Amino acid sequence: MTDLICVGAISGAFGVHGEVRLKSFTADPLAIADYVPLTREDGSGAFEIQITREIKNGFAARMSGVRNKEEADALKGVRLFAPRDRLPQLPDDEFYHADLIGLSVFDTGGAPLGQVKAVQNHGADDLLELIVPGQSSTVLLPFTQAAVPTVDLTAGRIVADPPEGLFD
Amino acid sequence: MSRSVWKGPFVDAYVLKKAEAARESGRNEVIKIWSRRSTILPQFVGLTFGVYNGQKHIPVNVTEDMIGQKFGEYSPTRTYYGHAADKKAKRK
Repeated sequence: MTDLICVGAISGAFGVHGEVRLKSFTADPLAIADYVPLTREDGSGAFEIQITREIKNGFAARMSGVRNKEEADALKGVRLFAPRDRLPQLPDDEFYHADLIGLSVFDTGGAPLGQVKAVQNHGADDLLELIVPGQSSTVLLPFTQAAVPTVDLTAGRIVADPPEGLFD
Repeated sequence: MSRSVWKGPFVDAYVLKKAEAARESGRNEVIKIWSRRSTILPQFVGLTFGVYNGQKHIPVNVTEDMIGQKFGEYSPTRTYYGHAADKKAKRK
């Protein structure tokens, strides 16, 4: 499990009064304000943010320690992180993408199948995208009780019972 | 203009054959199809289709909500990797 999760980024200054252009990566874009204070990737800084308005491709926001346009410009490209433990607890059978990405996947016999690269949803079930050793393309595994009976976050492993023909 | 009702929903014949064969065998398998234009019928509910997106077969587990839609709607041809952030996945 990663300790810091990227929840947004600063894409530059907005206006000349020290506001920044904020891109939110959270499922509900406004929810980025729930995870303050946000830090840089190395854990430095503790930015309080206050969203002032919605703009094209994100929000305009005021950030603590940013008083003018020059200071806002200096933050261009900074990615904002929140500690993983600040995310709310989820019910059983719901998982954060950030927790699933990177887990090793084994079949019911214990043989390794791959590693989770991403979680996708195309309108049907959620799908785990697996990097399979020895294959150039990835494989999509349906994230269902039948196909993924066990998710062990503490051990960092997933036990899968994929349908026939999925890895062909 | 929408399709005339008297014609019924369009489904490629081979999709019907494969679905029927899979249902009769009772095996847990992905039914690989290339027909993105076929309509999802009630008899497909519970089956898993691998719908081709031009590159690979995307597994689509058919549920009741999908009836009347086309298979291609669940198999996008472009992939966008966003940020994981606080997004959630639910195991159904």
